[in-house]
This record gives sequence, structure tokens and C-alpha cells, in this order.
Amino acid sequence: MPNPVETLVRTSRRIAQVTAARTLAYAILPALVAAALAASLRPLGHATWERWGYVLGAAQAAILADSLITVAIVALVAGAAFALREYQRARDFVAAAEKVDDAVGSHQQILTFATLADPAAPETAKAKRSPLFPLLWKSAASFLESFDPNRAFPLRLGRSITRSSVLAFVVALATALATFGLIHPPTPLEAQAARLREIANEIEKSSTSPDDLALATSVRDAADALENPNLPPEAKKQRLEQVMQQMASHADQKQGGGKEKGGGSGSGGSSKVAKGSGQPGQGAGTSNASGNNGGGGGSGQNQQAKGAGSNDNGNQGKDKQSIELQNEIAKAEAQLESEGAKSPNNGSGPGKDQTKEDNQQAGNKPNEKMAGNEPNPSQPGNLPKQGEGNRNLPQTGGNQQQAAKDQGSNMGDTHLGEFPTPVKTQRFLKPGEKGEALDIHDARYVMFRLPGATPVGPGGITVIDPNRAKASTPYVNAPLKETSNDAPPDERQLVPPRYRDLIH
Amino acid sequence: MGAAPQASADQRVAEFRRVFQRAEQEVARVIVGHQDVIRKLLTALFCGGHILIEGVPGLGKTLMCKTAADTLGLTFKRIQFTPDLMPSDIIGTQVLTEHDGKREFQFKPGPIFAHMVLGDEVNRATPKTQSAVLEAMEERQVTVFGVTYHLEPPYIVLATQNPIELEGTYPLPEAQMDRFLFKVIMNPPKPDELREILNRTTGSDRRKAEPIFKPQEAPAAIEALKELVRDVMVAEPLERYVIGIISACTPGSPGAVPEVSQYLRFGPSPRGAQAIILCSKVNALLAGRVSVSYEDIDDAIVPCLRHRLLRNFQAEAENVTTESILEQVQKRLKRPRA
Repeated sequence: MPNPVETLVRTSRRIAQVTAARTLAYAILPALVAAALAASLRPLGHATWERWGYVLGAAQAAILADSLITVAIVALVAGAAFALREYQRARDFVAAAEKVDDAVGSHQQILTFATLADPAAPETAKAKRSPLFPLLWKSAASFLESFDPNRAFPLRLGRSITRSSVLAFVVALATALATFGLIHPPTPLEAQAARLREIANEIEKSSTSPDDLALATSVRDAADALENPNLPPEAKKQRLEQVMQQMASHADQKQGGGKEKGGGSGSGGSSKVAKGSGQPGQGAGTSNASGNNGGGGGSGQNQQAKGAGSNDNGNQGKDKQSIELQNEIAKAEAQLESEGAKSPNNGSGPGKDQTKEDNQQAGNKPNEKMAGNEPNPSQPGNLPKQGEGNRNLPQTGGNQQQAAKDQGSNMGDTHLGEFPTPVKTQRFLKPGEKGEALDIHDARYVMFRLPGATPVGPGGITVIDPNRAKASTPYVNAPLKETSNDAPPDERQLVPPRYRDLIH
Repeated sequence: MGAAPQASADQRVAEFRRVFQRAEQEVARVIVGHQDVIRKLLTALFCGGHILIEGVPGLGKTLMCKTAADTLGLTFKRIQFTPDLMPSDIIGTQVLTEHDGKREFQFKPGPIFAHMVLGDEVNRATPKTQSAVLEAMEERQVTVFGVTYHLEPPYIVLATQNPIELEGTYPLPEAQMDRFLFKVIMNPPKPDELREILNRTTGSDRRKAEPIFKPQEAPAAIEALKELVRDVMVAEPLERYVIGIISACTPGSPGAVPEVSQYLRFGPSPRGAQAIILCSKVNALLAGRVSVSYEDIDDAIVPCLRHRLLRNFQAEAENVTTESILEQVQKRLKRPRA
């Protein structure tokens, strides 16, 4: 027959362990959710807000991830502390006996036994035991003979985890709310940085040499530098120039004989694009002067190397990436220059609202034509050069975002924050106003005024209203175009017969 | 912790159960029904308390008490309380006697000197006479002319009350009521029981209870069993449960339930808690246990407390009984956890 005291001690330990585990289980799920969210913040961004055209700044993402990891750690620590406290509380001999009593249905015999046989009780209390205590011992031992604490108090965490899912949901909800509060439409620099990162990823994926990997890392660092609010625009620009040089040297190494460096003349510096034909055996490329607006026109270096190995398709892909990368870098650099030119202290403070600033810049920049800096329509990312006849046409959109939509695949990036100023457009002249004759083509609608009520003469015939409104200025009714059934429906000028007299 | 004390304890518990159950059976051979009253009567005897039995005349209260005394081999006296009954008629008095030519006062014990005393219709006597009995109940001794006479244990008073004839009666004061361990209600017999009563009392077959103890052995044996009852163990959480019950029944106390505050003027005294514990111990022994359970306590609450609660005017006007209040208390009270 087992010693009931030992059994109860084991039971109290088991109950304490189970209680502590259940308490800890309350914290595990929220901690796991927080840690998982922290780890998957970037993939989540790719899957959600970046698809919707928003970005989460690197600094904000880092803060969010750090907060989530802190939440996870705090949850685990708090859970552990509570579990320890519950363990100590649950290690109660009498309380365990009461639970055993309920489990075995001994009508409080084990509870009474425990109160009298508690190892923590003083000896004086034990000395006052009833003469019937041996009977109670015997009875308790018989009840506990086949009692297994592990079986009677199994470790079931399902309920705790189910309850803690509420906490986990709260963590996830809070994270979602915080994320939606932090995300914002990308600033040009952020967009460029994101694009640079994509290119860096592509380079990494198709890398065959350590140089490629180093280049990808360098590009990624440049992207990080672009988003770093603590860096002044000059430093960012310097960083980009370094990347460009790396790219150029990398492209030189890759291209071999298909590369040609042309001497272009630009007002602010040399802007050279060596474009290879890509045909086997054709080593000579066409040199294309291409320059982006450098703002101050000082140091805009835009070297774009395109077309390298004649027969090597893999190299072609890489070269394409390189070209894209160089384009992006050039855009970012131009953006930085424009930013630096606009900034009175030639630097951006960490507390500045970058988006607002960029939008303001975009609205203020005229689309000026810079000598020697004509964009090449064939180059990706460059707007086609508009003809003189189109220069007076009103430009659509008030900001760069709208412009990006209108420009299609190039996303309007070539505007680089510059927008055309409104010009005079043709309009109808007011009565008495003098001006150039309008050159209206293909007018499709004629506006006319309907009378308030149709006057009816004798016999129910519609007649002309003598009191109808008359024009105060002379006018000439132009004959309407003949209606024809052959004309498409939207070309027909269908006028009810009863109004035709009014018009003609 | 040798084997001998275990065997002895085992034997004592077994003896208690045997005696109790045998007594129940023997009384039940004479009294039809009323098993609950019989059990409470015997419980009060082994707890060392007294019992107040309330019921209409003719239900067999006197016969039950006499049969119980005969079964246990105890002496039995009956006192019919009347308005002109004097304390000396109960306690006894000094009478002048002549012995060898010398005259002296000699104490002539009254009917209160017995193991089992039945006070029939105790509410018909004057308060002065009632007090004489109630003092004997509590002190287990009487004092006559400065001389104290102890009442031989076991001593139990079984008082009966007639609830229907209130004219010319002196209802027991609440303080006196508190001295009774139990108050049990004897209900009229059911039809089957009445038929059995008729068969037993109007036929030639007259049943008689067999005594369990010889008269000279009975007091000591019963006292030993009373000691056994007091050896039964009660866990500390169960004691707190009883204390919680008393608090819940006491108006104005922090644990009082709303019904108590609404309908009671006074709650039970500590005697009520003592009564519950003692009754629970007997219940535990009868269940073959040496420790009290919650069920034992719940079973003891109503008979132990129903006569200790003093209702207010509202309760009497609304005919709210103490039993219903105790039922609410039991429903609302949670068992304490260790």
C-alpha cells in the first residue's frame, strides 16, 4: 500500500507543473504570433501593401519588427513569471489533496487526512491528531492505491491555447493597425530604393560569380542609403555614384568587345550610352548621348551600357538588368540632385516629411528643356520628347503620381518631379471679346434650348411661340449635318420633327 | 502507529454503527415511519444534546422516546407540563423524614433525574418551570437548597411542543430554544404508515423493542460511543464552511445572504455551529467514515439551525419559514476551497 503522503506530494507537484504549463501556454501563442509577424513583415509587405502601392519605410519596419520581437519576449517572460508564480501557488499539499478528493470521490477523507498529515504543519499539530487518525490514514491509502497523478491530471493545453488565441489575435490586430498606420505611398526615393532592391535580388538570383554578389550587395546598400533619413542628399548621391562606377566597371568586364564608349557632350558632364547592336559579329555600337536633368547641371553622370555579348543570352539578361539598374540609379541620382537643389540647407533632416516635400517639388518643377539633355525615347524610363506642336497642350495631372499613370509603363519617372506649367489653351470667347478664331474640328454636339411648354394652335397643331426667348447678340444658325442612317449611332443628330422648325 | 490502536479504532467505529443501526431498527419495530425523527433522536443522544420535537398529539412521540430508552437500556421519565407545574415538581424537593428518631430533610429527586426525560408539551408550563428544566439541560446538574445534584450521564431531554394549541401556552423563548441541539418536525403518518399503525396497535400482535445494552452497562457504553463521536475529524476547510453558514444566517454579518437580511432579526449563536459539527460527525460515523464530509454538514444544517433563526415581522407576514431561508443559504453558499 503506498504512502498517501508521498502520493499527495507527487500529486501536488504534478498539479503545479500542469498549472504552470497551462499558464505558460497562455503566453506562447501570442509570443509566437508576434515573432512570426516580425519575421515575415517583408513577405507580408510584398503580398499586401506593396501590391496596393504602399510602402513601409525601412526605419518604420525596423521599429515595428523590434516592437514585435519585444512583445514576444515580454510575453514569454511574463508567461514564465506567471507560470513560476502559479507553480509556487499550486504546490499546496492541502489544495492538491482537495483536488485528489474530488477526483477519487472520497468525501473529503483525503482532504481531512492532508490537513492532519501536511508535512509543512508543525509537529504540535500532528501531536493533536485524533485516535481515529490511523483509520483515516488507512482509508486514504486505500483510495490512493491505484491513483496516478499523471493520469488524473493530464497536461491538456488546448483550452489555454484556445483562450490565448484571443491574445494572439489582439497582437495580430494591433500589428495590422500599426502597419496600416505606418504605411504610406512611396516617395520617389523609396520607389527607387525598392526598384534597386528588386534589381539587386535579380542579380543575386542569376549570379554566377562573387562579383555579381558583391554588386548586388552594393546595390542593396545604396538602396538602404537612399532610404536613410539621416544621410544628407550629398552623401546619398555620393553613394549612388559609387554604385554607378561599380556598375560601369562590371558592365565593362561583362561586355568585352561589344562595348564602346562614345564621347557625348553634355552641358553638365559626359553622359554616355554605348548601345550594342546585339548581332553576332557586330562589335560596333551606336553612341547615344543621353542625359537626365541634373538640376544644377553639374555632375549628372549617366553612363548606360547596353548590349554586350553578342551570342550569350545569359549575359544579355544580366546586361539588361545592369542597364535597368543604371537607369534606376540615374533616376535616383537626379532625384537627389533636384532634392538638394530645392533644399535651402542642402540636406534633409530626419524629421522632414519626405513625401510632402517631394510632391511639392513635383508640382513646382517646370518641364524645362535643357540643352544637351534631351531624353532618348528609346531608353527605358525616359519620356519621349514632345514636339513643338505639343508643347502648348495642357499637361495632365497635378503631381507625379498622376503623371506616372498617364505615362504608362515608364511610370512617369522621367518627370523626376518636374511638371509643365499650364499654357494658354483654346477656349470660346465671351460675347464682345476679341481673339483668335477658334479652330474647332469635329464638333459632335449642338446645344439648344427647349421651350418650357409647347404652344398649341387651333386644331391641335404645334405652332411657334411668339414669346419664345430670343438671343440678345447676333448669331447665325449653322445648318446641321444631314442625318443619315449610315452614320454610326453616336454621330446621328436626331432632332424630333416638331423642333426642326425651331432650329432651322 | 501500531496495529492494535487501528484495530481498536476499527472496532469502536464498527460498534458505533452496530449500536446505532440496531437502535434504529428496534425503535422502528414499534414506531411506524418517522425514521428521520428516530435518527435525529439517537444522534442527539450520541452528541450529548437535547431535542425538541414538534408535532400534533397522537403521533407517537412519547412512545418513541420510551422505546428508544428501553432499547438502549436507559432510564426514562416523562413529565407532562401543565401551567400549574412547579419547578420542584420536576427537580425534586427536600422532604422531612424521620430516621432512627431523628428528623432530617432528605432530597427526593424529581422526574428530571433520569437518562431520558420526556417533557411533554413543554410550552404549557410557566417560564419559571421551563427555566428549571432548561438549566438542568445545560448544566446537567440541579441545585436544591444549596446542594448540587449531578445528573447521571447520558442525559437527554426530549421536549415536545404542540404547534396548534397556542392558547394558554408559554412559547419557549428564543434563548431557551437555542439549548436544543435539534428541532425536528413530526409529520402525520402517510396512509400506508397509518395502516401499519392500525395493524400494530389494534391487533393482538404487540411488538416490543429488544434492549441492546443491559441497564447497568448502558451508560458507560453510550458514553464511550459519545467519545468516539468527538474523535471524528473535521478538515479545516469544512470548519470554514460551517462558519460561513453561520455568517450567512446572521443578519448584518458580511456574508449574510439577502434573504437573511430581509427576513431575520437574529441568526444562530455559536451553539448552532457546534450542533452542526456534532451532528455531522455522527453522520460521518454512520457512513463508515472517521472524517466529516460536506454532505454530512449539509444534512445537519436544517435540523440544527431551524429553531435558532428568529424571523422578523415581514417574514411572519409573508409566511417565510426558516427552512426556506436555510435552503436559500445552502444554495448561495459556495464550498470553500483549500
